[in-house]
Amino acid sequence: MTTMTTSHDPRDPAFVGDASVEVSDASAWFGQKVALSELSCSFGPGVTGLLGPNGAGKTTLMRAITGLMPLNQGTVRVDGRDPRRDRSVHSCTSLVPEDEAVPSGLTARQLVRYVADLHALADRAAPDRALAEVDMLGVADRRVDGFSKGMRQRTKVAAALVTEPTVLVLDEPLNGADPVQRAHLIALFRRLGAQGRTVIVSSHVLHEVERLADRIIVLIHGRLAAAGDQRAIRDAMNDRPRHVLVRGTDGRRLAAALIGLDSVAGVRLNGDDVEISTSRAAELALALPAVASDLHVRLREVRPLDDSLESLFRELVR
Amino acid sequence: MSALAPAVHKPWRFASILVYTLRSCIGPKRWLGSLVYCGAALLFGLLALTIDEPSGEAFARVAADGIFALVVPIASLVIGDAVLGAEVRSGVFHFTWLTPAPLWQIVVGRWLGGCIVALVTLVPACALAAVVAGDPGSAGAAAIGAFMGAVAYIAVFVAIGCIARRAAVWSLAFVFLVERLLGAALTGIAQWSPTWESRAVFVNFADNAPTSLVRDGIPAGTGAMVRLAVIAALGLGIAWWRLAHIRLAGASD
Repeated sequence: MTTMTTSHDPRDPAFVGDASVEVSDASAWFGQKVALSELSCSFGPGVTGLLGPNGAGKTTLMRAITGLMPLNQGTVRVDGRDPRRDRSVHSCTSLVPEDEAVPSGLTARQLVRYVADLHALADRAAPDRALAEVDMLGVADRRVDGFSKGMRQRTKVAAALVTEPTVLVLDEPLNGADPVQRAHLIALFRRLGAQGRTVIVSSHVLHEVERLADRIIVLIHGRLAAAGDQRAIRDAMNDRPRHVLVRGTDGRRLAAALIGLDSVAGVRLNGDDVEISTSRAAELALALPAVASDLHVRLREVRPLDDSLESLFRELVR
Repeated sequence: MSALAPAVHKPWRFASILVYTLRSCIGPKRWLGSLVYCGAALLFGLLALTIDEPSGEAFARVAADGIFALVVPIASLVIGDAVLGAEVRSGVFHFTWLTPAPLWQIVVGRWLGGCIVALVTLVPACALAAVVAGDPGSAGAAAIGAFMGAVAYIAVFVAIGCIARRAAVWSLAFVFLVERLLGAALTGIAQWSPTWESRAVFVNFADNAPTSLVRDGIPAGTGAMVRLAVIAALGLGIAWWRLAHIRLAGASD
Protein backbone atom coordinates (compact mmCIF):
# COMPACT_ATOMS: atom_id res chain seq x y z
CA MET A 1 0.00 0.00 0.00
CA THR A 2 1.33 3.41 -0.94
CA THR A 3 1.48 6.03 1.73
CA MET A 4 0.83 9.48 0.40
CA THR A 5 2.67 12.59 1.37
CA THR A 6 0.61 15.71 1.89
CA SER A 7 1.40 19.35 2.26
CA HIS A 8 -1.25 19.75 4.95
CA ASP A 9 -0.61 20.81 8.49
CA PRO A 10 0.15 17.55 10.32
CA ARG A 11 -1.92 18.79 13.27
CA ASP A 12 -5.01 19.25 11.09
CA PRO A 13 -7.37 16.48 12.27
CA ALA A 14 -9.00 16.26 8.83
CA PHE A 15 -5.80 14.62 7.59
CA VAL A 16 -3.82 11.59 8.61
CA GLY A 17 -0.12 11.07 8.11
CA ASP A 18 -0.29 7.65 6.47
CA ALA A 19 -3.24 8.38 4.18
CA SER A 20 -4.30 5.84 1.59
CA VAL A 21 -7.23 7.98 0.45
CA GLU A 22 -6.85 11.70 -0.07
CA VAL A 23 -9.63 14.10 -1.01
CA SER A 24 -8.57 17.58 -2.12
CA ASP A 25 -10.92 20.52 -2.65
CA ALA A 26 -13.66 18.14 -3.76
CA SER A 27 -16.85 19.72 -5.04
CA ALA A 28 -19.80 17.94 -6.62
CA TRP A 29 -23.22 19.18 -7.51
CA PHE A 30 -26.38 17.93 -9.15
CA GLY A 31 -28.09 20.81 -10.88
CA GLN A 32 -28.75 23.37 -8.17
CA LYS A 33 -27.98 20.98 -5.32
CA VAL A 34 -24.47 21.07 -3.93
CA ALA A 35 -23.46 17.65 -2.61
CA LEU A 36 -19.82 18.40 -1.77
CA SER A 37 -18.25 21.79 -1.38
CA GLU A 38 -14.45 22.23 -1.40
CA LEU A 39 -14.00 19.26 0.89
CA SER A 40 -10.47 18.25 1.82
CA CYS A 41 -9.64 15.36 4.10
CA SER A 42 -7.80 12.07 4.11
CA PHE A 43 -8.32 8.54 5.35
CA GLY A 44 -5.75 6.08 6.62
CA PRO A 45 -5.55 2.68 8.30
CA GLY A 46 -8.23 2.04 10.90
CA VAL A 47 -11.95 2.69 10.96
CA THR A 48 -13.15 6.20 10.11
CA GLY A 49 -16.79 7.05 10.73
CA LEU A 50 -18.46 9.39 8.30
CA LEU A 51 -21.29 11.25 9.93
CA GLY A 52 -23.80 13.78 8.77
CA PRO A 53 -27.50 14.34 8.34
CA ASN A 54 -29.32 13.25 5.18
CA GLY A 55 -28.04 15.16 2.19
CA ALA A 56 -24.75 16.01 3.89
CA GLY A 57 -22.76 14.46 1.05
CA LYS A 58 -21.61 11.23 2.69
CA THR A 59 -22.78 8.95 -0.10
CA THR A 60 -21.45 11.30 -2.77
CA LEU A 61 -18.05 11.32 -1.06
CA MET A 62 -18.02 7.52 -0.84
CA ARG A 63 -18.98 7.19 -4.50
CA ALA A 64 -16.26 9.66 -5.45
CA ILE A 65 -13.67 7.73 -3.44
CA THR A 66 -14.54 4.50 -5.24
CA GLY A 67 -14.69 6.23 -8.63
CA LEU A 68 -18.41 5.67 -9.22
CA MET A 69 -18.96 9.40 -9.55
CA PRO A 70 -16.76 12.08 -11.04
CA LEU A 71 -16.16 15.26 -9.08
CA ASN A 72 -17.06 18.59 -10.65
CA GLN A 73 -13.95 20.05 -9.03
CA GLY A 74 -11.05 18.76 -6.98
CA THR A 75 -9.40 15.38 -6.83
CA VAL A 76 -9.61 12.03 -5.10
CA ARG A 77 -6.57 9.79 -4.91
CA VAL A 78 -6.51 6.22 -3.68
CA ASP A 79 -3.00 4.98 -3.09
CA GLY A 80 -1.93 7.89 -5.30
CA ARG A 81 -4.17 6.85 -8.18
CA ASP A 82 -7.27 8.45 -9.67
CA PRO A 83 -10.13 5.95 -9.26
CA ARG A 84 -11.93 7.42 -12.29
CA ARG A 85 -9.01 6.92 -14.65
CA ASP A 86 -7.01 4.02 -13.31
CA ARG A 87 -9.09 0.85 -13.06
CA SER A 88 -6.28 -0.97 -11.25
CA VAL A 89 -7.43 0.98 -8.16
CA HIS A 90 -10.43 -1.32 -8.00
CA SER A 91 -8.20 -4.28 -7.19
CA CYS A 92 -7.61 -2.77 -3.75
CA THR A 93 -10.90 -0.97 -3.05
CA SER A 94 -14.39 -2.24 -2.34
CA LEU A 95 -17.72 -0.55 -1.79
CA VAL A 96 -20.82 -1.69 0.04
CA PRO A 97 -23.49 0.74 -1.15
CA GLU A 98 -26.55 1.64 0.85
CA ASP A 99 -28.95 0.61 -1.93
CA GLU A 100 -30.83 -2.60 -1.35
CA ALA A 101 -30.61 -3.58 -5.01
CA VAL A 102 -28.87 -6.88 -5.78
CA PRO A 103 -28.52 -8.76 -9.07
CA SER A 104 -31.48 -11.00 -9.72
CA GLY A 105 -31.31 -14.72 -10.28
CA LEU A 106 -28.02 -15.30 -8.46
CA THR A 107 -27.32 -17.17 -5.25
CA ALA A 108 -25.14 -15.52 -2.61
CA ARG A 109 -22.26 -17.82 -3.54
CA GLN A 110 -22.64 -17.07 -7.27
CA LEU A 111 -22.63 -13.32 -6.64
CA VAL A 112 -19.54 -13.41 -4.45
CA ARG A 113 -17.80 -15.76 -6.90
CA TYR A 114 -18.67 -13.43 -9.79
CA VAL A 115 -16.96 -10.54 -8.00
CA ALA A 116 -13.97 -12.77 -7.19
CA ASP A 117 -13.74 -13.91 -10.82
CA LEU A 118 -13.74 -10.34 -12.13
CA HIS A 119 -10.83 -9.67 -9.78
CA ALA A 120 -9.16 -12.74 -11.32
CA LEU A 121 -8.87 -14.30 -7.88
CA ALA A 122 -7.28 -17.72 -8.19
CA ASP A 123 -8.23 -18.82 -4.65
CA ARG A 124 -11.42 -20.80 -5.23
CA ALA A 125 -12.13 -21.01 -1.49
CA ALA A 126 -12.16 -17.23 -1.05
CA PRO A 127 -15.91 -16.74 -1.71
CA ASP A 128 -16.87 -19.29 0.93
CA ARG A 129 -14.45 -17.72 3.39
CA ALA A 130 -15.95 -14.28 2.77
CA LEU A 131 -19.49 -15.63 3.21
CA ALA A 132 -18.44 -17.35 6.43
CA GLU A 133 -17.04 -14.02 7.71
CA VAL A 134 -20.52 -12.51 7.58
CA ASP A 135 -22.26 -15.68 8.76
CA MET A 136 -23.94 -16.34 5.40
CA LEU A 137 -22.32 -19.62 4.44
CA GLY A 138 -25.38 -21.59 5.57
CA VAL A 139 -27.61 -19.78 3.07
CA ALA A 140 -24.99 -19.39 0.34
CA ASP A 141 -27.05 -21.36 -2.17
CA ARG A 142 -30.19 -19.30 -1.72
CA ARG A 143 -31.03 -16.54 -4.17
CA VAL A 144 -29.93 -13.08 -3.09
CA ASP A 145 -33.05 -11.36 -4.45
CA GLY A 146 -35.11 -13.42 -1.99
CA PHE A 147 -33.08 -12.27 1.03
CA SER A 148 -34.17 -9.82 3.71
CA LYS A 149 -32.54 -6.39 3.76
CA GLY A 150 -30.05 -7.41 6.44
CA MET A 151 -29.06 -10.60 4.60
CA ARG A 152 -28.60 -8.67 1.35
CA GLN A 153 -26.39 -6.22 3.19
CA ARG A 154 -24.26 -9.01 4.62
CA THR A 155 -23.97 -10.64 1.20
CA LYS A 156 -22.77 -7.32 -0.22
CA VAL A 157 -20.24 -7.11 2.61
CA ALA A 158 -19.04 -10.62 1.68
CA ALA A 159 -18.73 -9.56 -1.97
CA ALA A 160 -16.69 -6.57 -0.83
CA LEU A 161 -14.45 -8.64 1.44
CA VAL A 162 -13.74 -11.49 -0.97
CA THR A 163 -10.86 -9.61 -2.60
CA GLU A 164 -9.36 -8.60 0.76
CA PRO A 165 -9.32 -4.90 -0.15
CA THR A 166 -6.99 -2.45 1.55
CA VAL A 167 -9.62 0.29 1.26
CA LEU A 168 -13.14 -0.69 2.26
CA VAL A 169 -15.96 1.83 1.86
CA LEU A 170 -19.21 0.96 3.64
CA ASP A 171 -22.32 3.09 3.21
CA GLU A 172 -24.71 2.36 6.08
CA PRO A 173 -23.56 -1.28 6.26
CA LEU A 174 -25.57 -2.09 9.38
CA ASN A 175 -28.93 -1.25 7.84
CA GLY A 176 -31.43 -4.00 8.37
CA ALA A 177 -29.10 -6.20 10.42
CA ASP A 178 -30.46 -7.60 13.69
CA PRO A 179 -28.66 -6.73 16.95
CA VAL A 180 -26.57 -9.91 16.97
CA GLN A 181 -25.49 -9.37 13.37
CA ARG A 182 -24.76 -5.71 14.08
CA ALA A 183 -22.42 -6.68 16.88
CA HIS A 184 -20.85 -9.31 14.62
CA LEU A 185 -20.32 -6.82 11.77
CA ILE A 186 -18.99 -4.11 14.09
CA ALA A 187 -16.44 -6.58 15.46
CA LEU A 188 -15.54 -7.58 11.88
CA PHE A 189 -15.02 -3.98 10.74
CA ARG A 190 -12.94 -3.20 13.81
CA ARG A 191 -10.81 -6.26 13.11
CA LEU A 192 -10.30 -5.16 9.50
CA GLY A 193 -9.29 -1.70 10.73
CA ALA A 194 -6.89 -3.22 13.24
CA GLN A 195 -5.32 -5.22 10.39
CA GLY A 196 -4.24 -1.91 8.85
CA ARG A 197 -6.98 -1.62 6.25
CA THR A 198 -8.61 1.73 5.59
CA VAL A 199 -12.25 1.25 6.55
CA ILE A 200 -14.64 4.15 5.91
CA VAL A 201 -18.10 3.68 7.39
CA SER A 202 -21.11 5.93 7.22
CA SER A 203 -24.02 5.45 9.52
CA HIS A 204 -26.99 7.22 10.99
CA VAL A 205 -26.87 5.00 14.06
CA LEU A 206 -24.51 7.17 16.00
CA HIS A 207 -23.96 5.00 19.04
CA GLU A 208 -22.73 2.29 16.70
CA VAL A 209 -20.24 4.66 15.17
CA GLU A 210 -19.05 5.42 18.68
CA ARG A 211 -18.37 1.71 19.10
CA LEU A 212 -16.98 1.33 15.60
CA ALA A 213 -14.79 4.23 14.58
CA ASP A 214 -11.40 5.35 15.82
CA ARG A 215 -11.81 8.61 14.00
CA ILE A 216 -14.81 10.61 12.92
CA ILE A 217 -15.40 13.00 10.07
CA VAL A 218 -18.57 15.07 10.22
CA LEU A 219 -20.05 16.47 7.02
CA ILE A 220 -22.76 19.08 6.92
CA HIS A 221 -24.10 20.55 3.69
CA GLY A 222 -21.19 18.97 1.79
CA ARG A 223 -18.61 20.68 3.94
CA LEU A 224 -16.29 19.37 6.61
CA ALA A 225 -17.85 20.30 9.95
CA ALA A 226 -15.45 18.48 12.26
CA ALA A 227 -12.79 15.76 12.24
CA GLY A 228 -10.86 13.76 14.77
CA ASP A 229 -11.86 11.48 17.62
CA GLN A 230 -14.99 12.35 19.59
CA ARG A 231 -13.05 14.20 22.26
CA ALA A 232 -10.97 16.08 19.70
CA ILE A 233 -14.13 17.20 17.95
CA ARG A 234 -15.55 18.28 21.27
CA ASP A 235 -12.35 20.21 22.06
CA ALA A 236 -12.51 21.90 18.68
CA MET A 237 -15.91 23.18 19.71
CA ASN A 238 -14.80 24.59 23.05
CA ASP A 239 -16.40 27.92 22.30
CA ARG A 240 -19.81 26.26 22.44
CA PRO A 241 -21.54 25.55 25.76
CA ARG A 242 -21.30 22.09 27.28
CA HIS A 243 -23.60 20.60 29.82
CA VAL A 244 -22.44 18.88 32.96
CA LEU A 245 -24.61 17.09 35.49
CA VAL A 246 -23.55 17.39 39.14
CA ARG A 247 -25.20 15.28 41.84
CA GLY A 248 -24.42 16.23 45.41
CA THR A 249 -25.83 16.18 48.92
CA ASP A 250 -27.23 19.74 48.68
CA GLY A 251 -28.00 20.75 45.13
CA ARG A 252 -29.66 24.05 46.00
CA ARG A 253 -26.62 25.50 47.86
CA LEU A 254 -24.25 24.14 45.25
CA ALA A 255 -26.23 25.76 42.42
CA ALA A 256 -26.28 29.10 44.23
CA ALA A 257 -22.51 29.02 44.66
CA LEU A 258 -21.77 27.84 41.11
CA ILE A 259 -23.83 30.56 39.44
CA GLY A 260 -21.30 33.10 40.69
CA LEU A 261 -18.38 31.44 38.89
CA ASP A 262 -17.03 33.02 35.70
CA SER A 263 -16.79 29.63 34.04
CA VAL A 264 -20.50 28.91 34.52
CA ALA A 265 -22.91 30.24 31.90
CA GLY A 266 -26.08 28.88 33.46
CA VAL A 267 -27.42 26.54 36.12
CA ARG A 268 -30.60 24.48 36.23
CA LEU A 269 -31.80 22.75 39.36
CA ASN A 270 -33.76 19.54 39.32
CA GLY A 271 -34.14 18.20 42.87
CA ASP A 272 -30.57 17.75 44.06
CA ASP A 273 -29.31 17.44 40.49
CA VAL A 274 -27.56 20.51 39.11
CA GLU A 275 -27.20 20.88 35.38
CA ILE A 276 -24.46 23.35 34.52
CA SER A 277 -23.88 25.08 31.17
CA THR A 278 -20.28 26.05 30.60
CA SER A 279 -18.09 27.11 27.74
CA ARG A 280 -14.93 26.76 29.89
CA ALA A 281 -15.09 23.18 31.04
CA ALA A 282 -11.45 22.96 32.15
CA GLU A 283 -11.88 25.91 34.52
CA LEU A 284 -15.09 24.45 35.87
CA ALA A 285 -13.37 21.13 36.48
CA LEU A 286 -10.82 22.89 38.70
CA ALA A 287 -13.31 25.12 40.49
CA LEU A 288 -16.05 22.59 41.22
CA PRO A 289 -14.24 20.49 43.88
CA ALA A 290 -13.13 23.65 45.69
CA VAL A 291 -16.67 25.06 45.78
CA ALA A 292 -18.09 21.75 47.01
CA SER A 293 -15.42 21.53 49.70
CA ASP A 294 -16.11 25.09 50.90
CA LEU A 295 -19.84 24.34 51.17
CA HIS A 296 -19.23 20.93 52.77
CA VAL A 297 -21.29 19.40 49.97
CA ARG A 298 -20.42 15.85 49.04
CA LEU A 299 -20.30 15.26 45.27
CA ARG A 300 -21.81 11.94 44.25
CA GLU A 301 -21.57 12.21 40.51
CA VAL A 302 -20.13 14.58 37.94
CA ARG A 303 -20.66 13.67 34.30
CA PRO A 304 -20.89 15.44 30.95
CA LEU A 305 -24.36 15.24 29.47
CA ASP A 306 -23.33 15.76 25.87
CA ASP A 307 -20.27 13.67 25.20
CA SER A 308 -22.21 11.22 23.08
CA LEU A 309 -22.07 11.56 19.34
CA GLU A 310 -25.81 12.16 19.28
CA SER A 311 -25.49 15.40 21.18
CA LEU A 312 -22.31 16.37 19.40
CA PHE A 313 -24.06 15.89 16.10
CA ARG A 314 -27.06 17.95 17.19
CA GLU A 315 -24.71 20.72 18.21
CA LEU A 316 -22.82 20.68 14.93
CA VAL A 317 -25.97 20.67 12.83
CA ARG A 318 -27.48 23.56 14.81
CA MET B 1 10.70 -36.76 -3.67
CA SER B 2 9.28 -33.41 -4.46
CA ALA B 3 5.63 -32.58 -3.78
CA LEU B 4 3.76 -31.16 -6.70
CA ALA B 5 1.82 -28.01 -5.94
CA PRO B 6 -1.70 -28.02 -7.37
CA ALA B 7 -2.04 -25.94 -10.50
CA VAL B 8 -3.68 -22.59 -9.81
CA HIS B 9 -5.89 -21.36 -12.61
CA LYS B 10 -6.96 -17.78 -12.69
CA PRO B 11 -10.61 -17.48 -13.67
CA TRP B 12 -11.35 -16.23 -17.15
CA ARG B 13 -13.13 -12.92 -16.60
CA PHE B 14 -14.73 -12.97 -19.99
CA ALA B 15 -16.44 -16.30 -19.29
CA SER B 16 -17.67 -15.02 -15.92
CA ILE B 17 -19.19 -11.93 -17.55
CA LEU B 18 -20.85 -14.11 -20.16
CA VAL B 19 -22.28 -16.54 -17.61
CA TYR B 20 -23.46 -13.65 -15.42
CA THR B 21 -25.19 -12.06 -18.41
CA LEU B 22 -27.09 -15.22 -19.23
CA ARG B 23 -27.87 -16.01 -15.59
CA SER B 24 -28.70 -12.63 -14.08
CA CYS B 25 -29.31 -10.03 -16.81
CA ILE B 26 -31.56 -12.37 -18.78
CA GLY B 27 -33.50 -13.82 -15.89
CA PRO B 28 -36.29 -16.40 -16.09
CA LYS B 29 -38.91 -13.71 -16.78
CA ARG B 30 -36.97 -12.37 -19.74
CA TRP B 31 -36.43 -15.88 -21.12
CA LEU B 32 -40.18 -16.36 -20.84
CA GLY B 33 -40.75 -12.96 -22.44
CA SER B 34 -38.75 -14.07 -25.46
CA LEU B 35 -41.74 -16.25 -26.33
CA VAL B 36 -43.59 -13.06 -27.25
CA TYR B 37 -41.21 -11.96 -29.99
CA CYS B 38 -40.66 -15.54 -31.12
CA GLY B 39 -44.44 -15.91 -31.38
CA ALA B 40 -44.64 -12.63 -33.31
CA ALA B 41 -42.11 -13.94 -35.84
CA LEU B 42 -44.17 -17.10 -36.32
CA LEU B 43 -47.34 -15.05 -36.73
CA PHE B 44 -45.67 -13.12 -39.54
CA GLY B 45 -44.82 -16.48 -41.09
CA LEU B 46 -48.50 -17.43 -40.93
CA LEU B 47 -49.44 -14.05 -42.38
CA ALA B 48 -47.40 -14.84 -45.48
CA LEU B 49 -49.77 -17.73 -46.19
CA THR B 50 -52.60 -15.26 -46.71
CA ILE B 51 -50.79 -13.34 -49.47
CA ASP B 52 -51.75 -14.33 -52.97
CA GLU B 53 -48.21 -14.77 -54.31
CA PRO B 54 -45.72 -17.61 -54.58
CA SER B 55 -44.66 -18.60 -51.08
CA GLY B 56 -41.06 -17.43 -51.53
CA GLU B 57 -42.06 -13.93 -52.57
CA ALA B 58 -44.87 -13.72 -50.05
CA PHE B 59 -42.58 -14.65 -47.17
CA ALA B 60 -39.88 -12.26 -48.41
CA ARG B 61 -42.32 -9.33 -48.37
CA VAL B 62 -43.66 -10.20 -44.92
CA ALA B 63 -40.16 -10.81 -43.57
CA ALA B 64 -38.89 -7.51 -44.96
CA ASP B 65 -41.68 -5.40 -43.46
CA GLY B 66 -42.61 -7.49 -40.42
CA ILE B 67 -39.68 -9.56 -39.21
CA PHE B 68 -36.71 -7.35 -40.13
CA ALA B 69 -38.45 -4.02 -39.57
CA LEU B 70 -40.36 -4.88 -36.41
CA VAL B 71 -39.59 -8.18 -34.69
CA VAL B 72 -35.80 -8.05 -34.93
CA PRO B 73 -35.44 -4.47 -33.63
CA ILE B 74 -37.97 -4.92 -30.82
CA ALA B 75 -36.49 -8.27 -29.73
CA SER B 76 -33.00 -6.76 -29.87
CA LEU B 77 -34.18 -3.80 -27.81
CA VAL B 78 -35.47 -6.12 -25.10
CA ILE B 79 -32.24 -8.12 -25.09
CA GLY B 80 -29.81 -5.20 -25.57
CA ASP B 81 -31.32 -3.15 -22.77
CA ALA B 82 -31.44 -6.14 -20.40
CA VAL B 83 -27.75 -6.97 -20.70
CA LEU B 84 -26.47 -3.57 -19.55
CA GLY B 85 -28.80 -0.57 -19.44
CA ALA B 86 -31.33 -2.19 -17.10
CA GLU B 87 -28.53 -3.07 -14.70
CA VAL B 88 -27.14 0.45 -14.71
CA ARG B 89 -30.59 1.83 -13.91
CA SER B 90 -31.32 -0.71 -11.18
CA GLY B 91 -28.15 0.24 -9.30
CA VAL B 92 -26.37 -3.12 -9.35
CA PHE B 93 -23.87 -2.46 -12.11
CA HIS B 94 -21.26 -1.44 -9.53
CA PHE B 95 -20.68 -5.15 -8.79
CA THR B 96 -19.18 -5.30 -12.27
CA TRP B 97 -17.83 -1.77 -12.72
CA LEU B 98 -15.93 -1.65 -9.42
CA THR B 99 -13.53 -4.40 -10.48
CA PRO B 100 -10.27 -4.28 -12.37
CA ALA B 101 -11.93 -6.00 -15.35
CA PRO B 102 -11.22 -3.96 -18.51
CA LEU B 103 -14.26 -2.06 -19.71
CA TRP B 104 -14.01 -3.49 -23.20
CA GLN B 105 -14.33 -6.98 -21.75
CA ILE B 106 -17.43 -5.95 -19.84
CA VAL B 107 -19.04 -4.37 -22.92
CA VAL B 108 -18.12 -7.16 -25.31
CA GLY B 109 -19.05 -9.86 -22.78
CA ARG B 110 -22.47 -8.36 -22.21
CA TRP B 111 -23.05 -7.88 -25.95
CA LEU B 112 -21.93 -11.41 -26.69
CA GLY B 113 -24.31 -12.71 -24.01
CA GLY B 114 -27.11 -10.80 -25.73
CA CYS B 115 -26.12 -12.25 -29.11
CA ILE B 116 -26.26 -15.76 -27.66
CA VAL B 117 -29.78 -15.09 -26.37
CA ALA B 118 -30.80 -13.84 -29.83
CA LEU B 119 -29.15 -16.88 -31.39
CA VAL B 120 -31.17 -19.35 -29.34
CA THR B 121 -34.51 -17.51 -29.37
CA LEU B 122 -34.99 -14.99 -32.18
CA VAL B 123 -32.93 -16.69 -34.89
CA PRO B 124 -34.65 -20.11 -34.74
CA ALA B 125 -38.03 -18.36 -34.59
CA CYS B 126 -37.25 -16.40 -37.78
CA ALA B 127 -36.08 -19.58 -39.52
CA LEU B 128 -39.21 -21.37 -38.36
CA ALA B 129 -41.32 -18.50 -39.68
CA ALA B 130 -40.02 -19.30 -43.18
CA VAL B 131 -41.01 -22.94 -42.73
CA VAL B 132 -44.45 -21.94 -41.45
CA ALA B 133 -44.82 -19.65 -44.48
CA GLY B 134 -44.23 -22.63 -46.76
CA ASP B 135 -40.81 -21.44 -47.91
CA PRO B 136 -38.32 -23.66 -46.04
CA GLY B 137 -35.65 -22.73 -48.57
CA SER B 138 -35.52 -19.23 -47.07
CA ALA B 139 -35.10 -20.47 -43.48
CA GLY B 140 -31.32 -20.15 -43.61
CA ALA B 141 -31.47 -16.68 -45.14
CA ALA B 142 -33.98 -15.54 -42.53
CA ALA B 143 -31.74 -16.93 -39.77
CA ILE B 144 -28.61 -15.23 -41.12
CA GLY B 145 -30.42 -11.93 -41.70
CA ALA B 146 -32.03 -11.99 -38.25
CA PHE B 147 -28.79 -12.89 -36.54
CA MET B 148 -26.76 -10.18 -38.29
CA GLY B 149 -29.50 -7.62 -37.64
CA ALA B 150 -29.67 -8.61 -33.96
CA VAL B 151 -25.88 -8.45 -33.61
CA ALA B 152 -25.88 -4.81 -34.81
CA TYR B 153 -29.05 -3.77 -33.01
CA ILE B 154 -27.99 -5.24 -29.66
CA ALA B 155 -24.73 -3.29 -29.84
CA VAL B 156 -26.66 -0.09 -30.62
CA PHE B 157 -29.08 -0.68 -27.74
CA VAL B 158 -26.25 -1.56 -25.35
CA ALA B 159 -24.77 1.86 -26.19
CA ILE B 160 -28.11 3.64 -25.73
CA GLY B 161 -28.58 1.82 -22.40
CA CYS B 162 -25.27 3.26 -21.19
CA ILE B 163 -26.09 6.77 -22.36
CA ALA B 164 -29.75 7.32 -21.54
CA ARG B 165 -31.73 6.57 -18.41
CA ARG B 166 -34.93 6.21 -20.47
CA ALA B 167 -33.24 3.78 -22.79
CA ALA B 168 -36.43 2.16 -24.12
CA VAL B 169 -37.81 5.52 -25.25
CA TRP B 170 -34.57 6.54 -26.96
CA SER B 171 -34.16 3.10 -28.53
CA LEU B 172 -37.68 3.23 -29.97
CA ALA B 173 -36.98 6.76 -31.19
CA PHE B 174 -33.86 5.45 -32.91
CA VAL B 175 -35.79 2.69 -34.68
CA PHE B 176 -38.96 4.53 -35.61
CA LEU B 177 -37.88 8.15 -35.95
CA VAL B 178 -34.29 7.91 -37.14
CA GLU B 179 -34.31 4.66 -39.08
CA ARG B 180 -37.87 4.50 -40.30
CA LEU B 181 -38.87 8.14 -40.72
CA LEU B 182 -35.60 9.87 -41.53
CA GLY B 183 -34.22 6.74 -43.19
CA ALA B 184 -37.20 6.70 -45.58
CA ALA B 185 -36.36 10.18 -46.77
CA LEU B 186 -32.59 10.27 -46.43
CA THR B 187 -30.65 7.52 -48.17
CA GLY B 188 -27.55 8.32 -46.13
CA ILE B 189 -29.28 7.21 -42.93
CA ALA B 190 -30.71 4.07 -44.55
CA GLN B 191 -27.18 3.14 -45.63
CA TRP B 192 -26.31 2.64 -41.96
CA SER B 193 -29.63 1.27 -40.77
CA PRO B 194 -29.57 -2.27 -39.31
CA THR B 195 -33.12 -2.80 -40.63
CA TRP B 196 -32.21 -2.05 -44.23
CA GLU B 197 -28.89 -3.84 -44.02
CA SER B 198 -30.30 -7.02 -42.44
CA ARG B 199 -33.02 -7.00 -45.08
CA ALA B 200 -30.33 -6.87 -47.77
CA VAL B 201 -28.56 -9.83 -46.15
CA PHE B 202 -31.81 -11.82 -46.17
CA VAL B 203 -32.68 -10.98 -49.78
CA ASN B 204 -29.19 -11.94 -50.92
CA PHE B 205 -29.37 -15.40 -49.37
CA ALA B 206 -33.07 -16.17 -49.96
CA ASP B 207 -34.00 -18.19 -53.02
CA ASN B 208 -36.99 -16.30 -54.30
CA ALA B 209 -36.85 -12.89 -52.66
CA PRO B 210 -37.42 -9.98 -55.04
CA THR B 211 -34.35 -7.75 -55.28
CA SER B 212 -36.67 -4.73 -55.25
CA LEU B 213 -36.81 -5.20 -51.47
CA VAL B 214 -33.21 -4.00 -51.24
CA ARG B 215 -32.90 -0.28 -51.20
CA ASP B 216 -30.72 1.46 -53.77
CA GLY B 217 -27.16 1.95 -52.63
CA ILE B 218 -27.21 -0.75 -49.98
CA PRO B 219 -24.66 -3.44 -50.74
CA ALA B 220 -25.87 -7.00 -51.15
CA GLY B 221 -24.88 -9.99 -49.03
CA THR B 222 -21.38 -9.81 -47.63
CA GLY B 223 -21.17 -6.04 -48.10
CA ALA B 224 -24.27 -5.58 -45.96
CA MET B 225 -22.87 -7.99 -43.37
CA VAL B 226 -19.68 -5.95 -43.20
CA ARG B 227 -21.73 -2.80 -42.66
CA LEU B 228 -23.70 -4.48 -39.89
CA ALA B 229 -20.42 -5.53 -38.28
CA VAL B 230 -19.20 -1.93 -38.51
CA ILE B 231 -22.45 -0.68 -36.89
CA ALA B 232 -21.97 -3.25 -34.11
CA ALA B 233 -18.35 -2.17 -33.59
CA LEU B 234 -19.40 1.49 -33.48
CA GLY B 235 -22.12 0.74 -30.92
CA LEU B 236 -19.69 -1.20 -28.75
CA GLY B 237 -17.10 1.55 -29.07
CA ILE B 238 -19.60 4.16 -27.90
CA ALA B 239 -20.68 1.92 -25.01
CA TRP B 240 -17.06 1.39 -23.99
CA TRP B 241 -16.35 5.14 -24.08
CA ARG B 242 -19.51 5.86 -22.14
CA LEU B 243 -18.72 3.34 -19.41
CA ALA B 244 -15.37 5.03 -18.90
CA HIS B 245 -17.18 8.30 -18.18
CA ILE B 246 -20.35 7.04 -16.56
CA ARG B 247 -21.75 8.48 -13.33
CA LEU B 248 -23.15 5.51 -11.46
CA ALA B 249 -25.85 6.61 -9.10
CA GLY B 250 -27.91 4.29 -6.96
CA ALA B 251 -31.31 2.99 -7.99
CA SER B 252 -32.99 5.51 -5.70
CA ASP B 253 -31.13 8.54 -7.10
